[in-house]
Amino acid sequence: MLALEFPPLNEILRWRDLFPTFNKVALIAVAAALIGTIIFLIAARQDGSKAPKGIRNFAEMLVEFVENQIIMPAMGKSGMGWTPFLLTLFIFIYLCNLPGIIPVIYMPATARMAIPLFLAVLVWLVYVGVGLKHQGLGYFGHMIAPPGVPAALYPLIGPIEILSNLVIRPFSLAVRLFANMLAGHILLVTFSLLTEELIIDGDNIIFRVLGVLPFAMLILMTVFEVLVGFLQAYIFTILTAVYIGSSAHPEH
Amino acid sequence: MLTAVVKQGASGIEVSLTRRVDAIAPAPRADEEEGDHSEGDEAHHAEVDCEFPFDTTEDAAASEYPCEEGPSPILPEAKELLWGGGAFLAFLVLMRFFLYPKLRKGMDARYAKVQDGFEQADAARAAARAEVTEYEAALATVRAEAAERVDAARATLAGEREARLAEVHAEISSKRDAAMAEARAAREAAESDVRSAVTDVTSKVLEMAIGRAPTEQVEAAVADVMNSEVRS
Repeated sequence: MLALEFPPLNEILRWRDLFPTFNKVALIAVAAALIGTIIFLIAARQDGSKAPKGIRNFAEMLVEFVENQIIMPAMGKSGMGWTPFLLTLFIFIYLCNLPGIIPVIYMPATARMAIPLFLAVLVWLVYVGVGLKHQGLGYFGHMIAPPGVPAALYPLIGPIEILSNLVIRPFSLAVRLFANMLAGHILLVTFSLLTEELIIDGDNIIFRVLGVLPFAMLILMTVFEVLVGFLQAYIFTILTAVYIGSSAHPEH
Repeated sequence: MLTAVVKQGASGIEVSLTRRVDAIAPAPRADEEEGDHSEGDEAHHAEVDCEFPFDTTEDAAASEYPCEEGPSPILPEAKELLWGGGAFLAFLVLMRFFLYPKLRKGMDARYAKVQDGFEQADAARAAARAEVTEYEAALATVRAEAAERVDAARATLAGEREARLAEVHAEISSKRDAAMAEARAAREAAESDVRSAVTDVTSKVLEMAIGRAPTEQVEAAVADVMNSEVRS
């Protein structure tokens, strides 16, 4: 007989504080910020007039990725001023996602709600601020009466736009990142437990042979999580760019 | 805690899911910690097994979150918000005001250098193209001049050749006329010799035949016959 015990969700998400008010998620977030800072510090110290190589090449590749793949399609050339913010956002989210597949750590900081929520609220403040700066109170006016929409539809479209801009956008930004990373983390835990129970603790040759399946899935899901971590950082960042761009230029 | 039990039965592998509620016990209240623990030793042990994040019973008791009664895993925790947000904002400030501008400055300087190189290369290419055009124009002029000179030379050569040919033809013609006159004189001399010889022979034959020398009239007739026969 084989008993597979699935731990409660809190058991795989919550960690004992490293010291009061500082836990593993906080450690990952601080480490992400530090690693990002160190990469760009080293890159910035190298001579930029020569052909880039090593860390500087990597940092410039990140900058060009954000500029060409995120800002240009979402905001156009006028959005280049947002490169530092979007670059920081992308790097921070990706470095918070990455520990989900690093052995020993095995915990994406974004699988907890705090960081996605903070970032979503920050993005919300930024794009509402940009809207108010560029359009004044007309920003809210455009939500109530979107340009190009027949006046008869204002009572229908207006509330939807207000709800979408002020509530759904930040909510979906936070939940999309959090839920994807949490789901990936739970899947990895599930396949790890199944592999351990069947191959290591299994008292029957059939269970041990069957254990190859969850192990294969564990490998597959780990590789998939590399892609998911990158993709979620990219999606969060490009949506931020789209929201800021639409606040700055409502005609688009 | 959710427990899946897998066993091999008579009809194959059987799987059953059960929720183990006996292991869940509420966190000990402060007033209970002072009391007697003897009656709950087993339950207390189960409770320790359940509370994964805590190493000791004291940690579990001190915690406000026993394992299955912890906070909602969806709700954000204040410390994570503060540390996560603080880390991000610090990173953002560093990137916005120090790291990115320095990196960008280097990138822009290099791009400008590369652009300058491109522009210089374009200018060099344009200059080279102008030189090639100029060279081709000069080459065309030289070729036209050369063609003119060749045509003039050819015309001169053709004139000289014609003159030379006419000269040679004239020389050949005069030589031929001289040769023909010479041949005619030689023939006439030979005819005269033959005629006199034939006249002599004829006179001798007639003299032998008739016994006397032929008259001048006969000799003249023989000479006429000779002349007409030799010419034919």
